[in-house]
Amino acid sequence: MLISRVAGISLRGLSKHKMRAFLMMLGIIIGIATLTVIVSAGKGMQKKITKSIQSFGPNAVMVSAGGGKMFGPPDDKVTTLTLDDATAIKESIKGIRAFSPFTITLEQSIIYGNRNSTAPVVGATPEFADAWQWYAEKGDFISDEDNASMSKNCMLGRTVVRELFGDQDPVGETIRVNNTNFKVIGVLTGRGTSPMGMDMDRRVMVPLTTAMKRLFNVTYIGMIRMYIDDASRLDEVSKTVTSILKERHHITPPQEDDFRVTNTMSMANMAKGVSRTLGTFLALLSLISLGVGGIVIANIMFISVNERKKEIGIRRAFGATAGDIKKQFLGEALFVTIGGGIAGAVMGLIISEGLAVIKRMPVVLSWEPFALAIMFSTIVGLIAGLQPARRAAAMDPVDAIKG
Amino acid sequence: MIELKGITKKYTKNGSPEVSVLQGVDLEIRKGEFVAIMAPSGMGKSTLMNIIGCLDRPSAGQYFLDGTEVVSMDDDQLSRTRNKKIGFVFQSFNLLSKTTALENVELPLIYSTEDVDLKAKARAALEAVGLGDRLDHVPSELSGGQQQRVAIARALVNDPALILADEPTGNLDTASSHEVMNIFRKLHQDGRTIVLVTHEPDVAGEAQRIIKMKDGKILSDERRAE
Repeated sequence: MLISRVAGISLRGLSKHKMRAFLMMLGIIIGIATLTVIVSAGKGMQKKITKSIQSFGPNAVMVSAGGGKMFGPPDDKVTTLTLDDATAIKESIKGIRAFSPFTITLEQSIIYGNRNSTAPVVGATPEFADAWQWYAEKGDFISDEDNASMSKNCMLGRTVVRELFGDQDPVGETIRVNNTNFKVIGVLTGRGTSPMGMDMDRRVMVPLTTAMKRLFNVTYIGMIRMYIDDASRLDEVSKTVTSILKERHHITPPQEDDFRVTNTMSMANMAKGVSRTLGTFLALLSLISLGVGGIVIANIMFISVNERKKEIGIRRAFGATAGDIKKQFLGEALFVTIGGGIAGAVMGLIISEGLAVIKRMPVVLSWEPFALAIMFSTIVGLIAGLQPARRAAAMDPVDAIKG
Repeated sequence: MIELKGITKKYTKNGSPEVSVLQGVDLEIRKGEFVAIMAPSGMGKSTLMNIIGCLDRPSAGQYFLDGTEVVSMDDDQLSRTRNKKIGFVFQSFNLLSKTTALENVELPLIYSTEDVDLKAKARAALEAVGLGDRLDHVPSELSGGQQQRVAIARALVNDPALILADEPTGNLDTASSHEVMNIFRKLHQDGRTIVLVTHEPDVAGEAQRIIKMKDGKILSDERRAE
């Protein structure tokens, strides 16, 4: 029998039971829609990770005070990392292009005229620029003189500029940080969002000495950032830094480290880990609904085969072979699953777009869900349809025609 | 055309003792004959129909249809033989529900290995039984007599060697029965081979040869002079 004729029979069979066909499709629609959201969100996450790595910076190693597993800037109460630690690290590692110890606080209140905002305050040396590959887009960067004189000069990130100054040029203006007046000498280039989701353009940068002695009166630093010459040495440098600090802080095995060392690679891996966990969960959900959908289809097909016994008998009497009957029912299962799959992919893309708009989730819409939909639907259709189709084909024509 | 030799059929159901439905039937039907098989119900006429119609296989015996041995055929060969050589007409019409007259008549053509214009052939067959204006009606929109005429069109559409009718008027009123029997008479005049199973003497009276069965055997075989 011609394949187009089989397809015609299957389609007609389905069109006579539209509600049933829709119910059969439902599980597949949900499963494939979920799968589509996974693909879209996964690709979005991938894009975000790539952006995050760019914002973290390549070839970078960071040391932060305080132990634990969290990334990002430390609590400003942690007192374990000192400038002497920084000097010791700088002297023992070769191939450092830029080396920048700095402090960072929680958000402080920043006032300009009658406007106010909040931002973390960073205390930095000029080398911060090279270590972060992060420069002044307007005005000057913090200089060695600023550090030597504990000057009350500062730089602002773009977000702070927008909130306090709007379109006005901030360079030369005076702002209040924690009740101390600072003169704005420069604006930092835009950096976007950190891998941790922090707005890196929301910050005020002052000389390291000013931050330590004048503003907060502390003897410790928060973090060290290194820019090394070779990405392949990231892990090696991280290990060396760890062993130096363990020795200096007298940390022996059962004790936990009181510092953390991260680098571009470990940052990327963590971000991937988060999206992988989410992806695995959604993939599981999708597989469950495809599995349940398949079972529903198989069951409805069995019912359908029994109800249509007479039809099968009539077809057999007029020359349908057992194979023709099998193809007909398998065809119906495949039309249901592939139809459901394509509908699910379309729905998934709509949901993904919705998430992007409403939840501001990073998503990337692509054609891949359709390929996946057709692949998975075909597999589910074949598995779910095969047994019912075999049962239909195995019916004895004489019995079947009695109904 | 049809040659049955020593056909027997035995059934066993769920371990109960074997039942012999046919006990050695010998029968020869020539091309162009119009034969009525008469028997009280449960006396093996349906089983004989199924065997002649290649739907069922005998437990023993030989069956030649159009010169071809049928008993040794496998399931696919039997299907193909039904498709090409047999046109069934049933008591309860057995049309596909929710399916138009035209699509019902197309059915045997769909399973034919030949690539033909389904619609044109099906339409011609429906016109031949006087239903050219009912092509798009589904069975529930047709009277019993019209449904049986659709069924006859379906039986004829593949130009089979044999028309096999099982109580074709059993579910019809007198007027519709006459209509249907007129068609059979005309088919016979056109030279078709017709085997008709019935228990109504009136219907059997249309045939040129009447075979009476009892207890799975042929009781009598009478030819009428035309």
